[in-house]
Amino acid sequence: MPDGKHTLEVPVSIDKVWTYVSDIDKWAPLVPGYIEHQIISDRQSTWSFKGDLGFVKKTVKLRIDITEWTEPTRVTFDLTGLSDNFAGNGSFEAEAIGGDRTRMTGYLNINAKGAMGPMVNSILKSFVPKTAEELSTAIADKIVEVNRG
Amino acid sequence: MATRRPAAWDREADVVVMGTGGAALTAAILAHDQGAKVLVLEKAAMIGGTTAFSGGVPWIPMNRYMREAGIEDSREDALTYLRRLTGGKEPDPHLLEVYVDNAHKMIDYLHEHTPLRFAVPKNYPEYYNDLPGARAGRSLDPVPFDLNQVGEWGPKIRQNPTFPPLTLEEGGAVGGIDFAKIAERMEKNIVTMGRALVGALVKALLDRGVEILTETPGKELVVNDAGEVIGLVAEQGGRKLYIGARKGVVLASGGFEWNRELVRAFLKGHVTHPMSPPGNEGDALIMAMEVGAALGNMSEAWWYPTMQDPTFEYEGHILNQLGGGRMGPNSIVVNRHGKRFVNEGTTYMDMPKSFYVYDPVALEWPNEPPVWMIFDQQLKDRTMIITMMPGEEAPEWVPRADTIRELAEKIGVNADNLEATVNRWNENARKGVDPDFHRGTMYFENLTGGGGSPEANIGTIEKPPFYAVPIYYGTLGTCGGPRINENGQVVSLRGKPISGLYAAGNAAMGVMGQTYASAGGTIGPAMTFGYLAGIAAGSAPSREI
Repeated sequence: MPDGKHTLEVPVSIDKVWTYVSDIDKWAPLVPGYIEHQIISDRQSTWSFKGDLGFVKKTVKLRIDITEWTEPTRVTFDLTGLSDNFAGNGSFEAEAIGGDRTRMTGYLNINAKGAMGPMVNSILKSFVPKTAEELSTAIADKIVEVNRG
Repeated sequence: MATRRPAAWDREADVVVMGTGGAALTAAILAHDQGAKVLVLEKAAMIGGTTAFSGGVPWIPMNRYMREAGIEDSREDALTYLRRLTGGKEPDPHLLEVYVDNAHKMIDYLHEHTPLRFAVPKNYPEYYNDLPGARAGRSLDPVPFDLNQVGEWGPKIRQNPTFPPLTLEEGGAVGGIDFAKIAERMEKNIVTMGRALVGALVKALLDRGVEILTETPGKELVVNDAGEVIGLVAEQGGRKLYIGARKGVVLASGGFEWNRELVRAFLKGHVTHPMSPPGNEGDALIMAMEVGAALGNMSEAWWYPTMQDPTFEYEGHILNQLGGGRMGPNSIVVNRHGKRFVNEGTTYMDMPKSFYVYDPVALEWPNEPPVWMIFDQQLKDRTMIITMMPGEEAPEWVPRADTIRELAEKIGVNADNLEATVNRWNENARKGVDPDFHRGTMYFENLTGGGGSPEANIGTIEKPPFYAVPIYYGTLGTCGGPRINENGQVVSLRGKPISGLYAAGNAAMGVMGQTYASAGGTIGPAMTFGYLAGIAAGSAPSREI
C-alpha cells in the first residue's frame, strides 16, 4: 500500500503551528498540483489537484473526512477518490519540543482499488511519499515565514 | 532558406541522423556499421519519438520469426495483399517491391547485430485477414526488454501513459489485461511495445559508442555550391551549432501533425488531436523543402479516431487516447446530425476517412469531428472504454442520460434524428443485421476472435443509462514528406537524388500511400527505409565539407 511519512522541525511554538494548520484555506494552495477545494462542513471537504506522475499528469478529485481533531496535536482523516477508484487516510501530528519549537509529522496513505489497482499502486509507490514530503515541507516553510519577526 | 557552408564547423561526423524513433535509430546503426562516424540529434529531452509512444510493432512480410513458427510467406503473396489495399494509389509502385524485398533483411540484420528481438504474437491475424495474400505472423511483437541495460537513458525513453508494459500478445493493446503482471514489470523496469523496441536499439547504439545529443533540434540544412547537403544547423542551449556531415544527413524526426499551418496546407482532413509526441512539427519537411526536395503522399496521415479522458495530460496537452468500445456490440457512432455514417468497426486507419466526406448538396462536411460514440450500460458493463473500467462508475466527464433524447440534448446533437437512428439500429440489431453499414462483416471488427460477426458486433442500445463520448480527428502521425528513392535518398523537384540527403519514417514520403497494411504498417516501412538510408549514407564516399 503506497504511503509516505515525513517529519521535520520548525522554530515555532505548537500553538502557532496549530493556528496555521487548523485553517485549511491557508495551506490548501500548498498541496502539490492544487487546483481547488471546497469546505463542505467542519469535517468534510472536497479537493481537486493535478498529480505529476512523471510520464503523465493526472487530475484527481477526492473527498476528505476528518476522523479526529485533537487541538493542538493531532488530526487524522480518511480520503475517498471521487474521480477515480482509490481510498486512503492520513494524519498530521505536532509535538512541542520546547517553548518555541515544534516537531511536525505528515502521513499519507493511498490505495488504488479495482482491476487497475496493482498497476496504479506501483505508480503511486514513489508519488505518495514524494507528495507527503513536499506538502509537509511547504507547510513548514510557510509557518516559519508567517511567524518570522 | 538553406544555409551556406560556415567558416568553421562546431561538430563533424560522417552521418548526422535527426530523430530517435525506429527509423532514425535503425539508420544510425546501419550507417555506423558501414564504418561511418555517426551523430544522432534529438529535438526533445526525451528520446524514442513516435515509435517509443507506439505499440512498437513492425509489419514485415517473410520475416524470420514467422518462418521459425512454421508460417510460410512469399513475395508474391505480400505484394498481392499490399497492392489490393493500395489500389495503385501509392506514390511509387517500385518502392512497394523495395519494401517487401528488404523489410525481412532489415529484421535479420537487427536480430544478428543488436539485442532487438521479436516474437510472432499468437492469435493476431492481419487487419484484412480475408484478403488474398494475407498472412498472420507479419506483425512482430517486440519481446520485453530490461530497461536497466541502457542505464541513464532508460528514463529518457518516452512512455505512452496508456500502454501498460505488456506485449501485444499479452493484451497490451487489445484487452485481457493482467494488472498484476503490469505491476511486476514496472517494479523490475521491464518494458514492452515501442519502449522495448527503442530500448534495444538505443542499447545497440550505446554499444557502438554512437553519441546522442538531446534537446538539439535540427533547424536548417547546409548546402555547398553544387547544391549538395554537407551538414546542418542545429540549436543547442539557445545557440546555433554547425554540424558537418561528410557522407550525409538522414532526416527521421517524425511527421508534421503538430504543426497547424502544415496540417492545413497539406492534409485532406484537418487533424486536431494527434496521438504522437507534440514535438512532431514538420522540422524535417521544412528543411527538405528549403533545399528543393520533391514531396509525396502529402495529403495522407495514419488516421485515428481519437478519444480523450480529460484528466490525463501529457506535455502540456490533454492526452489523446486509443479509446475502445467502437466495435460494439452495443454502440454506434453518429455525426452532429445524430446520424450514423460509417461501419464503426472498420480499422482505425479507414474509419476516419469518412470524416472528410463532403456533401455537395448540403454544402458541408457532415461527419467532421467531434462525432459521438453512443452506447448503453450493457457495453459499459463489459468493455473498457478509454480509461473507464467495467463495473466502475462512469466519471463525471462522461455525458449520460436515462433517455436517448435527453442524451442528444446534452451533447448538442439533433434529438429527433438520434432517437430515430437508435431505434433503427435496435430494430435491425434484434434481427442481427446492419443493412446500412454492414457491421459485423469486417475481419477487423473482431480481430482476435476470428473476424466480425453479428454476435460480436451488433447489439441493441437499450439499457439505460445511455452514454456518449466524443471522437476527434486524430492521427498516429502524418505520412507525407520528401520523396525518396530505393536508397532512402531524397529526390529533388527535378527528379534527381539530392547528394547527401536521406529521409525515413514519418519524416519521409509514405511508400504505402493511403494504406495501413496491418499492425506495424507504419513502423515496418519506417525501419526498412531507415535501414536502406543508413546503408546508403554510411557507405557513401566521404566528401570535402
